[in-house]
Amino acid sequence: MSIDVGQLVNEIKTAASGVLTADIATVRGFSQRQLEAIALQTHVVATGIATNNISPELQDFFLDGLKDMVTNFTRTLKGLMAVTIEKIWNAVVGAVWNALSTAIGTVLPIPKAAGTIPAP
Amino acid sequence: MQSWTSRPAGNALFALMLCLSLLGCAIQLAPPYDKAVVDGLNAANTEAMTLLAEVSHGTEKATFSKREEKYNALIGKLEALSVSAGARPMPSNNVAEAINKKLEKRGTLEGFQDDDATPPSAHAIKRIAESFEKMRNHDMKVGLKPGDVQAFKGQIAIYFDQAITYENFLKR
Repeated sequence: MSIDVGQLVNEIKTAASGVLTADIATVRGFSQRQLEAIALQTHVVATGIATNNISPELQDFFLDGLKDMVTNFTRTLKGLMAVTIEKIWNAVVGAVWNALSTAIGTVLPIPKAAGTIPAP
Repeated sequence: MQSWTSRPAGNALFALMLCLSLLGCAIQLAPPYDKAVVDGLNAANTEAMTLLAEVSHGTEKATFSKREEKYNALIGKLEALSVSAGARPMPSNNVAEAINKKLEKRGTLEGFQDDDATPPSAHAIKRIAESFEKMRNHDMKVGLKPGDVQAFKGQIAIYFDQAITYENFLKR
């Protein structure tokens, strides 16, 4: 009935790094695509306005769109990071509770924090 | 019968469990995954890109009636999807608030008006619907130049990427 601290630390590291490796690749790919697409869109809008290839009535709409899509890009990134933090946190808590359950020989249900949405 | 030596150990274990139950709770910082939203988004993306490809060389207002039904069907689907994506409850708890406070303290969120009650995907889908509405109205009024279509396509594709990436990421 004891907890191997060294093993627990390794399990926490494995759980956290597993989440990080997968999620960082997704976030990096998304950021790269978005930055390239936003840069291209800026070029398309700027050139279209300068050469009159974009109708004058639509120009303000596209300029406002550039600002809004950059804002929502940052909101999306923040949302992705929140999911990653959630996954790492829960993986660490899961590893700790698993070690505790093993040590006392009883399966302990992991409690949920206040504000958590119950599963459907 | 319990020996006196095991009692402190039992108390320590109880204290540890109490601490963990108070501090080590599982958390939820984002809304639940919804397969119906993801499937709807993928279908709308295909439909949107097909329509954009059809008009990529520009349009004449005289032929607008051929496209009107496609525009309306797509706008309707996107507006319904935006409502579905935004209707899920956004979790609010101490951890999420602590992260926001930390970011505010660091100045990371300075000048950044965030709406934590709406998922970024719901906002992106709403903006796609608005883009198609603007495109339809301009097409009906004067027709579209190839440059207009190119700019609409770029904007719509960026919002689709934001919405699809976020919604797929919620599957955890």
